[in-house]
Amino acid sequence: MENVEKKIREEAKKLLADKKVDVVVGYERGTLPLTATPVFITEPDDADRLVYDATCVQNLAKYVHDILSAHKEAQKKVKPEDKKKKVVGVVARGCTSRSLVIQLQERQYGRDDLVVLGVPCNGYIDGKKMGIALAGEEILDGSLTGEGVAVKTSAGEKKIALNDVLADNCLTCRFNNPVISDLMAGDNAPAKAFDREYEKVDAFEQLSTEERWAYFTKEMGKCIRCYACRNACPSCYCKVCFVEQSMPQFVGLSADHTDTQLFQLLRTFHMVGRCVDCGSCISVCPMGVDLRNFLKKLDKDALELFENRAGAKMEDVPPLSTYKENDKEDFIYNP
Amino acid sequence: MAEVNATDGWEPKIIAIVCNWCTYAGADLAGISRIQYPPNVRIVRLPCTGRINPFYVMKALQEGADGVLVSGCHPGECHYLTGNYHARRKFAMLKRYLSYVGMEPDRTNFTWCSASEGERFAKVIKGVTEKVRALGPAKKLVKTL
Ligand code: SF4
Ligand code: SF4
Ligand code: FES
Repeated sequence: MENVEKKIREEAKKLLADKKVDVVVGYERGTLPLTATPVFITEPDDADRLVYDATCVQNLAKYVHDILSAHKEAQKKVKPEDKKKKVVGVVARGCTSRSLVIQLQERQYGRDDLVVLGVPCNGYIDGKKMGIALAGEEILDGSLTGEGVAVKTSAGEKKIALNDVLADNCLTCRFNNPVISDLMAGDNAPAKAFDREYEKVDAFEQLSTEERWAYFTKEMGKCIRCYACRNACPSCYCKVCFVEQSMPQFVGLSADHTDTQLFQLLRTFHMVGRCVDCGSCISVCPMGVDLRNFLKKLDKDALELFENRAGAKMEDVPPLSTYKENDKEDFIYNP
Repeated sequence: MAEVNATDGWEPKIIAIVCNWCTYAGADLAGISRIQYPPNVRIVRLPCTGRINPFYVMKALQEGADGVLVSGCHPGECHYLTGNYHARRKFAMLKRYLSYVGMEPDRTNFTWCSASEGERFAKVIKGVTEKVRALGPAKKLVKTL
């Protein structure tokens, strides 16, 4: 990954120096060991702050949308002759690029507002798995060593195999290389075990109705409605989200468990054909709610029913924005 | 509603969210033709199934409906040409999804019923009422606070 990092810095520097982009969205070292955090680089000299490795978690498409929509809003108040264009460069791996595709398909901005700096991806470290591997010990220092992670805690030093702590969505990722890019930093990464992507959903489907309901209510019972999952989601960009809508109010805010269950049903259902399984929502959830089990089901059904994989191809039409006359209708009640 | 026991005179409450141009008129026809159907259904009229947000279905279930029925024009007969085709996609997903999380599949029902199908409307309502009756009062996702 070192070469990839070098290439990203070079390209970012060039893009900024040549004024091809106004900002590059990427990752920089975080303040805690083994973390990275999103960064916005506007000066060529700052490009050396960019990093890229298994500690880079968040889907950066979120910030691309934030920047471009804020710019669009601001430009509304500007005289026509003074209007300025803003171009965003973004470090994009597979899932990020798919989210960009979705935002483009949903006409959030134009392809020329974007320079996609594609990166190959081998997956990122799931903080919660790491916590379990270290039995909750605080990480004092750490480094990535090819196939593993070397961590120092107060209990001593430990080596962990990367595969043991990679996020579930990364382990079975089908698109770990960008689906669109203007530049590519490095060669494509080797394929992941994508043939197993629906393994968990398949197993869950085999449970009884009561077992499934018990799991759903248990998971949603943990949720504290902080909305971090929504805020991290690159497909959640509505100006007024239904959760804040008060006239009429869609979801209640009482302590009744069904309010939270309904919130989750509605939000996840918003992701039909729009969830790329980047795992951002899961990584930010403070309560460890298993959102993936539910989002992945919607992904599986959209594939089964409409042959759709969210954001996989620019030419695709979002599955709920189109139809076929012979779409399956075996669920229609016909007495 | 949840506190009423299945054995002591409980009657299922069904919310039918229907299209104005077909099923609603179909219900009217059933009425005019004096075709009997169970009084368990409360009808909500919308301009087209394409206007029916899947949230309405889930919200109805939360607010205490024992069952929900969505009904619109037959494929190819939508007043707005494609509303029902789009709706069919949404509800195919929704039906599977609600079953997946562990709701009883028979509580959510979808059908087509045209303005001339008064008989069919009565049959659908009868059928759905029986299916929901067999399940008993809704317990899942029902708001009690
Ligand atoms: S949860 Fe739904 S309404 Fe809220 S921001 Fe996301 S897509 Fe929009
Ligand atoms: S991040 Fe987790 S706790 Fe917060 S609203 Fe989402 S699921 Fe609930
Ligand atoms: S007008 Fe009846 S379904 Fe569209």
